[in-house]
Amino acid sequence: MKKLILVVYFLLGWGTAWAQTPTVTREVIGRDIGQLKGIKLSGRITDEITGEALVGATVAIPELNLTRITDANGSFELELSRAEYTLEFRYVGYETKIYPITAVGDGRITIKMLQEDFNLDDVVIYGSDPEKNIRSTNMGAVTLSMNTMKELPPFMGEIDIVRSLATLPGVSQVGEASSGLNVRGGGVDQNLIQFAGAPIYNPSHMFGLFTAFNPDMVNDVTLYKAVVPSRFGGRSSAILDILPKAGSVDKFGGDVMLSNFSGKISLNGPLVKNKVSLLGGFRISYINWLLQSLQNTTLNSSDANFYDGNLVISAPLSEKNEFTYSYYTSYDDFAFASDTTISWQNNAHSLQWKSKWSDKLSMETSGFYSLYTYGIFNQSGINNFEINSHIADMGGKTFFTYSLGTGQNLTLGADYKQVSIQPGELVPTGTEAELLPKKVQDETGRELAAHFQHELEIGEKIGLTYGLRYDYYQYLGARTVRNYQENKPISDGSAVGETRYANNEVIQNYDGLAPRASLRYSFSKASSVKLGYNKMYQFIHLISNTATIAPSDVWKLSDGFLKPQIADQFSLGYYNNFKGNIFETSVEVYYKDLQNVVEYKDGANLILQNHIETELIPAQGKSYGAELYIKKNLGTLTGWISYTYSRAFRRVITPFEEENINSGSWYPSNFDKPHDLTLIGNYKVSTNTSISATFAYSTGRPITFPDAKFDYSGNNLAYFKDRNQQRLPDFHRLDFSVNFKLNGQGKFFEGDWTFSVLNVYGRKNPFSIFFDDAPQQPPQAFRLALLGIPLPSLSYAISF
Amino acid sequence: MLKRLLYLLLVMPMACVDPYEVKVPEGEQLLTVEGIISTGPGPHAITLTRSATYGSIFEGLIRPVSLATVVVRDNEGNVTFLTEGTEAKGTYFTPANFRAEVGKSYTLQILTAEGNVYTSTPERVAAAPNIQSLEVRTVTIQVEGSTFPKSGVQLIVELKDPADQNNFYYWRNGPAVYILETSPELYTPRPSPQNPNRTPQPKDCCSICFRYEAGNNQSLFVVNDDNFNGLSTRIPASFIQDDGFRFVNKFRMDLKQYSISQEAYRFLRLVKQQAEISGSIFDPPPATIRGNMISLNNPDEVVLGYFMAGGETSKRIYIDKNDLTFRQVKAIVPDDCRVVSGAFIDPPADWRP
Repeated sequence: MKKLILVVYFLLGWGTAWAQTPTVTREVIGRDIGQLKGIKLSGRITDEITGEALVGATVAIPELNLTRITDANGSFELELSRAEYTLEFRYVGYETKIYPITAVGDGRITIKMLQEDFNLDDVVIYGSDPEKNIRSTNMGAVTLSMNTMKELPPFMGEIDIVRSLATLPGVSQVGEASSGLNVRGGGVDQNLIQFAGAPIYNPSHMFGLFTAFNPDMVNDVTLYKAVVPSRFGGRSSAILDILPKAGSVDKFGGDVMLSNFSGKISLNGPLVKNKVSLLGGFRISYINWLLQSLQNTTLNSSDANFYDGNLVISAPLSEKNEFTYSYYTSYDDFAFASDTTISWQNNAHSLQWKSKWSDKLSMETSGFYSLYTYGIFNQSGINNFEINSHIADMGGKTFFTYSLGTGQNLTLGADYKQVSIQPGELVPTGTEAELLPKKVQDETGRELAAHFQHELEIGEKIGLTYGLRYDYYQYLGARTVRNYQENKPISDGSAVGETRYANNEVIQNYDGLAPRASLRYSFSKASSVKLGYNKMYQFIHLISNTATIAPSDVWKLSDGFLKPQIADQFSLGYYNNFKGNIFETSVEVYYKDLQNVVEYKDGANLILQNHIETELIPAQGKSYGAELYIKKNLGTLTGWISYTYSRAFRRVITPFEEENINSGSWYPSNFDKPHDLTLIGNYKVSTNTSISATFAYSTGRPITFPDAKFDYSGNNLAYFKDRNQQRLPDFHRLDFSVNFKLNGQGKFFEGDWTFSVLNVYGRKNPFSIFFDDAPQQPPQAFRLALLGIPLPSLSYAISF
Repeated sequence: MLKRLLYLLLVMPMACVDPYEVKVPEGEQLLTVEGIISTGPGPHAITLTRSATYGSIFEGLIRPVSLATVVVRDNEGNVTFLTEGTEAKGTYFTPANFRAEVGKSYTLQILTAEGNVYTSTPERVAAAPNIQSLEVRTVTIQVEGSTFPKSGVQLIVELKDPADQNNFYYWRNGPAVYILETSPELYTPRPSPQNPNRTPQPKDCCSICFRYEAGNNQSLFVVNDDNFNGLSTRIPASFIQDDGFRFVNKFRMDLKQYSISQEAYRFLRLVKQQAEISGSIFDPPPATIRGNMISLNNPDEVVLGYFMAGGETSKRIYIDKNDLTFRQVKAIVPDDCRVVSGAFIDPPADWRP
């Protein structure tokens, strides 16, 4: 929590500098040459600490009932008459500034705004400007700033990005410990998660117990769930764009936090004063030390480690050019009783160059390299082996934004990405040659895209954004591809011969046009209706037969057998703000159609599978829903209610009856949860104490109950007829937290204690229900609850 | 192995598993077929049962199917009749001299007492390589909520896989014999009017017997040779639980190694996958276990189970108590060892440890 220092510089028309003042008095702007009308006042708003431009900040003049938004450079321009005005500067997560002026001549001002201090009585929660939801033509884009997430009850002492997003309408998770998000009936692999522009394949620690992004390193998170800007593509459901923070360009600072499970530290400061800043952060769990100290031999020989680290070098060299380099890494390993270790690691580098070429034209270019490696290591003494896999993504994108006038913007750009996957390599590590080394063929694919988007306003009431993205995909050699007999299911039995492709030879091409459009009609300043359409292509598929992202999963590129996933989404929304934007409400409905979703044959064998096409079947998907959202932005009590009614279905029809699932009829997908309700409240008890609570309710997810019980070889087995015909009991949970801040004024440290309890009333929400016919006991249904008790946690954070 | 995270969660302690009441619609009683005929010595057994419904508690029993006509037919048209065991209802045996032959295909045909006819798809018999050696390894398994681990013996097979074909192996524990030690000197009859004060009445005989056991095959061991085609390899092939009796002195067992068809392998893999489901977050979604039996009266009728035919080799192993690095506490039977079922005083004729 940065100390509140209020500094406003007024660089007046003739260049006089105006020093800071604790009490704001009315200032005279401009040289008085008797001008009465057409006084031009321009300005720029930047962050006091980082010097970064605040894009989309609001400049309001209540006397004129006029509001302006800062552009991509943080600049604004006003045309005033000779009079007294009260300028109000607002930006979410920042102190609001009220500045009375008397305009007598042209002038230029520079406003430096500070991140909001928690000593304030009021809390403003997200949305980069209070009326943005009404006025922008964008649909289904939600930005959560770190300050908003800080108001939610933490999970095991930590702010959790993925869990915070799951409180929004239309966003859910399969269960209490699952990686990733399900957005509007889509699978976890249908979201592109990018950190500073680089794709991240496994966003979790400990199989989804924690999110693998250190919240201290994140500035904000934007989720596009409906109409995705045409500069994004490659996944069919949603885009999750995580942007890192930048360090301060003028002073050093840092944070340290300790909780029951992990600790973290971050440092930031100028590398070159006012030019280049550095931000570094590291977080590590000490679950392992807890394990080692246990008496139980199985547990103290077990391992569970994770860490993540970030480095951000930001160089706002001038108002025109800004460079940012970001490095992100996360690591996990997990072993139980030390014979098999599972580990995974993300590494992502990205470099971004933002340039403003003129008042109208700006450019953003970035390049990235990301490497996700994962493996299973067996040291049991018999047939020791390791299985290694990786995915490497390298690419770049560039786009230009050209302003055609008020409310008119044109964006034009291109993307390039090369993906190479090593799906699995088995390396025997034993002393004797008892195992054959085995390597599944590497895969390479190339994605190219060109896109444009045009935003325009037709009068006061109508806004239109339309765009088009052209995706072109190539599946490349070197590779040996099997051929199969026609009119037979693809299986080992129907294989006839092979075709050999040379290095970089194109095996398969796919392309497609992905139009995006949204239309907005405003009834008033406080209410609007929007209509949107979105099409997306996806060329990479997560092949997993579990409900979560696990290191045993395989990512597979589209090839001649596995076609790209295509999603078409229609959405309609009504937005209304009340009481001067204190209340924000919205209703959105959508319908989404999915083609070529991957389903698995019964008992598919996915690990080290060189002919994975024999284990997969294409499915169709459809989902629809209605989302209701009411949010209170300001006051001592803030929070939101989100309710979603939605359905998500799958269908598998093939020419071969034996491969159909549920006889080819529509069945609920694994994450079909019709009712989903979240209530979030944050109450400011005093200037340094706040309490928050989250209540979540949802229909239980579909599961498959056995149709009959039979015996084979002394095992009691279940016969399953149709998938997903029953449901788990409903899910509900209450989380609670108290945050107490130690006043750091005049001292070196500011402290921040957070005590939270997850699952306050100890609801045993089943993750699954299964049947066990263990000998010597009656066969019974059991439920597995991952979080069966109230789970308290305590964390202490200091800033310096 | 991934599901082990669950155990960690269980002790952290956040997660919990407890009984749960569910309502399951009454299922059909489906015919279930289990059995393998092999190139090994007969008789070979086929078991017919009917499935029961799952429920929150015990609902319905798996019942044997009696009085059916069961035949095995080979691709040359030879028919072998199986006869139902007099004690083992629902289990049908081939004549003792029946052996499957490598290279032949066999189908199983069933006529039930109700007059329904079922047949299997043909199963071709492939040769099984010999077991070159067996290695004994002690394994301990931590039991949740108990400080005493379960333990037992894992047998590791060494075999030379033929390079020219795709092989699918399946191992089963055959009949076993072990030396049973009891304590007749501690014999105390139940308190009764004749013996109210629980005075021990030591017996003179006998403290050492040989106890016979049918093979227990709770754990399934199946593997294909994708990872070791043409190599000499070692594979865990059996687990024998230490129940406090078996490894007190000497234990003998015949381990049977079968070479089965690809389809049978796929079936067993699904069975194994399901038997290992723990409800954890890494469980695969439930898969329909389709067998190789079809109803000729009603093609839509589901028949469960699998009829297998395969090559068989077997190897005998004697396990001494000192071969184990960890043993369960010896179970005490305060009585004559001959009262224990399956126990006899004379060693088997071929007992040569």
